[in-house]
Parts: sequence; structure tokens; C-alpha cells
Amino acid sequence: MPDDTQWPRFQVFVQVKPGAPFLDYGSVHAPDLELALLNARDVFARRPDCVAMWVVPAEGIFSKTVQELQDWDSAPASDNAGNRETYHVFAKPMHAGAQTLLGQVEASSPEQALRLALERYENKKPAFAWWVFPARLALSSQVEDIPSLYAPAREKNFRLSTDYKTITAMRELRQPDKDG
Amino acid sequence: MDNHLKNTLRELLVALADDELILGHRDSEWCGHAPILEEDIAFANLALDEIGHANLWYSVLADLEEADRQSFVDRMVYWRDAPDFRNIQMVELPNGDWAFSMLRHYVFDSAEIERLNVLAESVFPPLAETAAKIRTEEYYHLRHTRLWLRRLGLGTAESRQRLQAALDQLWPYTGQLFEMPGEPDHLFALGIKMDQASLSWEAQVIPFLGECQLILPAGAERLLNRQEHSRHLPILLAEMQSVARLDPEAEW
Repeated sequence: MPDDTQWPRFQVFVQVKPGAPFLDYGSVHAPDLELALLNARDVFARRPDCVAMWVVPAEGIFSKTVQELQDWDSAPASDNAGNRETYHVFAKPMHAGAQTLLGQVEASSPEQALRLALERYENKKPAFAWWVFPARLALSSQVEDIPSLYAPAREKNFRLSTDYKTITAMRELRQPDKDG
Repeated sequence: MDNHLKNTLRELLVALADDELILGHRDSEWCGHAPILEEDIAFANLALDEIGHANLWYSVLADLEEADRQSFVDRMVYWRDAPDFRNIQMVELPNGDWAFSMLRHYVFDSAEIERLNVLAESVFPPLAETAAKIRTEEYYHLRHTRLWLRRLGLGTAESRQRLQAALDQLWPYTGQLFEMPGEPDHLFALGIKMDQASLSWEAQVIPFLGECQLILPAGAERLLNRQEHSRHLPILLAEMQSVARLDPEAEW
């Protein structure tokens, strides 16, 4: 795409409290992983609670929906071709839900990782769609980042639009028109 | 507290707050204009953080004056004119290009952290506690601006040239970063050692700028005090204060 001057896209996963599963929050554009992590913090962790964040290049995520799985040729042809490494497995339980971290599998290709994930999780957690990606692709925020990246947001109070008296004021301003 | 000491503290708090407020307003001007959506949001966040820090400093001053915080802060922000502001000139300069804004933020953030390190050791607890609180957020600002400076400095010929031009323009203003108002004896009595902050700032900033392939300009430092302002400050204030001044009685 020669006309596309957009930076690469990174998927953002957020952990809202220690021990909670990482959830897909959306994506950001950035020139690289390090800036993707900071952009992700600004876009997704300003208000809600967050204790950790992963960013992953979107192109590194292997995904299949339930429909795609029906036609998927899952013959394990090249399973032993590459070196085995850890893959994170995410599944989206429903149409409207977020991709949620289920666990890890050791595999030598994304296809094998997904097959192993289906064997392990499909019966326990029927899903609408599956994502797998090698753990090494993710950049994670560190525990020592919490005070500067996430903690300040917790103390920030903000006012909802209804806290301002604008609506009442506008109604009062309009009142004479109605009477006249 | 001794009245002389209180006066120094008063002047110091106005200076600290005004620096944050004016830089925060400049940051907010990027809203809707940054090169990419994510950076637009990042700069809006920086703006909110800096204005939040200004609010904290003005509130420490309000408590010192035994004034109502909210109305005191509003009065400081919306009802003073340029000659009453005590910010350094660097923060009031127009945003320029992305490289200029990023470099200014880096220079200010890196200096602010050193200032806060010193202030956090002050014997006046509200000052020390507020400095420690602000500092955690500044680490994130510094991380963001450092990443960008490296990428601009080591990026393309154009990005490096723009960053160098920004440094040439800004460097003479850096002498003001650690100039604090008030009597040196009083600052000492409050446990504030700005000389120390200045030295450790130089020790980290000069090598970092070198890593970003930048050359420190040879020109002399500008000698400025916090009562002198450029022609840009009244223009900034006119816009920032325009809505509040339309209706002084309005409730928000």
C-alpha cells in the first residue's frame, strides 16, 4: 500500500488488577513497540484502573473465528518444522465480548499453537473467535512502571458533563422564547 | 512562620505554578493539530497533567494564605495580567513545530524532575509532599519525550535538522530553569538547594542531547528574570482567560 502513510498498528491488552486476565482493549498506531506502549497508556489507561499492559504488533496475531475454523485445514503438516516457543492464547467468548487471555501453549507455529489451544480450551470455553501470538512479540509494562504510568490516574477526579450547570442555564435562556 | 520566609515561599509557589500552567496551556494548543491521533491524545494528557500540577501548587499557596482553594486558583489563573505572571520565558514561546514542542518538553521535564527532587527535601511539608506527588507523573513525561528526541535526532536528515534548530532557539533560555525567586538565605532556610538540581540536570541532559546527535549551541545564555516576559505571553493569556472574563459572575 504505497499511499498508506499510517504507522503500524499494535494491539493493546490491559490487566485491570493483579491476577486478572489480560483483555483486548483496542489498538494504537505507533512507529515502534516502545512508543506503542506509551501511546496505549495514554489512550486506554488514563481513567480506568490498570496495573499492566501489553502491546503486540497487530500483524503478529494469528486469528480465527468460529466460521473460519469450519473451513480450516488443521492437518498438522509442519508442526515440528520450527523451534518451539510460548504462545499466548486469547478467546472472545461472545460476539460482543473482549478477547481474554486463557493461558499459554508451547508450539512451533501459530497454526500449531491454535490447534493446541483448541484441544485444551474449546470444550471448557466455547469461543466466538481465537487469537494466538508468540509471547516474545509482546512488550509488557513492568511493575516499577505502575507509579508513573497508571497510579496517578486513580487519584484524578473529573467532572461529568452533567456536573456543569450549562443545561439548566440554556433552559433558562430559552424560556423567554417559549413564553413569547 | 516568619514573614520573610513566607514571602519567599509565596513567590516560589507562584513561579512553580505559573511554569506548569503556561506550559500546560501550550500543550493544549496541540489538541486537534498533532501529527497523529495518538500523539494528539498524548499531548492533551500532558496538558491536563501540567495544569493539574499548577492547580496543586496554587492550592498549596491558597492554604498558606488561608484562602478558599477554588476561588483562589481561579483568581490566579484568570484574573492576573502578564506582568503578574512569574513563569520562565521558555514555556510561553509559541509551539513551533513538533520538534520544538517535544524538545521544550524534554528540557522542561528533565529540569522539573531535578527541581522536584530538591523541593521534595524541603523542610516545609506541603511543599515537599506536593513535589513528591508530582514527580511520579513527570517520570512518564520524561520517558515519552526522551523516546521522541532519540527518534527525531537519529531519524531522518530533516527531523535531525529541525530538532537542532529547536535546540539552537531554546538553549539560551535554559539558564532560567533553576532561577527561583526569593532571597537565597530564605530558600536555604527552607532546605531548597537549586544549585544541586542544576548540576545534576546538566550532567544528564548534555550527554543525552549528544546521543541524539545534537550539538550544543555556543551562544551566550540569556539573562532573564521571572518578571520579564516576551510579547507572546499576553496573547496566550488573552485566549486562555477570554471565556472566564466574558462573565465574571458565571458559575462553572
